[in-house]
Amino acid sequence: VHPLAWSIVMPAVGSAFLASLVEATEAFTLVLAAASLGGGRPAAIGTTAALGLLAGAVAIFGPLLEQVPLAALQLAIGVLLLLFGMGWLRKAILRAAGILALHDEAAIFAAQTGRRALGGWMAGLTAFKAVLLEGLEVAFIVIAVGAGRGLWLPAGLGAGAACLLVLGLGLALRRPLARVPENTLKFGVGTMLSAFGVFWTGEGLGIAWPGEDAALAVFGALFLLAGLATASLLRRSQREVLP
Amino acid sequence: VTILRDVAAELVGMFLGDARLALATLLLVAVAGVLARWQGAPLLAGGVLLLGCLAIVVGAAVHRARREARR
Repeated sequence: VHPLAWSIVMPAVGSAFLASLVEATEAFTLVLAAASLGGGRPAAIGTTAALGLLAGAVAIFGPLLEQVPLAALQLAIGVLLLLFGMGWLRKAILRAAGILALHDEAAIFAAQTGRRALGGWMAGLTAFKAVLLEGLEVAFIVIAVGAGRGLWLPAGLGAGAACLLVLGLGLALRRPLARVPENTLKFGVGTMLSAFGVFWTGEGLGIAWPGEDAALAVFGALFLLAGLATASLLRRSQREVLP
Repeated sequence: VTILRDVAAELVGMFLGDARLALATLLLVAVAGVLARWQGAPLLAGGVLLLGCLAIVVGAAVHRARREARR
């Protein structure tokens, strides 16, 4: 990585960290529920196995993608980032506007723990599945934002740091992390990934962006403004329909 | 087998969760590609790509909001 490429490094690591914070919070709720229904040890084993599988996937696919021709890689990853990032941003806008319900960790935990007790094996499998499914998105983000510039390792470390933070907080509190502002984080990550998507797709198509890497910040600002304005507009129009 | 099926469903949902948004994005990238590669107008293609993506995300949110309001 060029030492001055911070305009790329910071959004890449930041996206991975924030996305991981969101997904780890959601996964932690399900793991905690599995642990309380079937025991902490099997849930911990299931969690560790899923994290190991995800880290292995990143460690294999990250360097492997470096072998793909740069323009083709940028175009493919750029389009996937657009599809994924704009999907997250759209959902965050709808939640911010009050049209979709916010993710409620306490309610999810209550619903999960309201079921009958799990055997140890089932608790481990439930934790494994929860971490694997929630972690897929983080693994994709780490691979995608790191592709082409060899940034998958710093992005992976950012994601790992967020996991450790959630795990540390969760184990200290021993309850779901209901106060994590998930939608605000999702809004930020959706914005950054959409900006990355436009940037990579454009580079893959042979577009030389004015300002080079600095264009990424401009794209991010535009997506953020458009997202906030749309959420505000939808919130206001909803209030007019439902006084 | 169930886990593999869930993983596959999660992967499809990650990128194609909103079919209209996905289709519009793919069409937009195709148009930007034509402008950049065959019309020799890369900056115009960049502008179309950026503004098109902003329009798609706003349009997708508004479309869903209208659908929810009709329910």
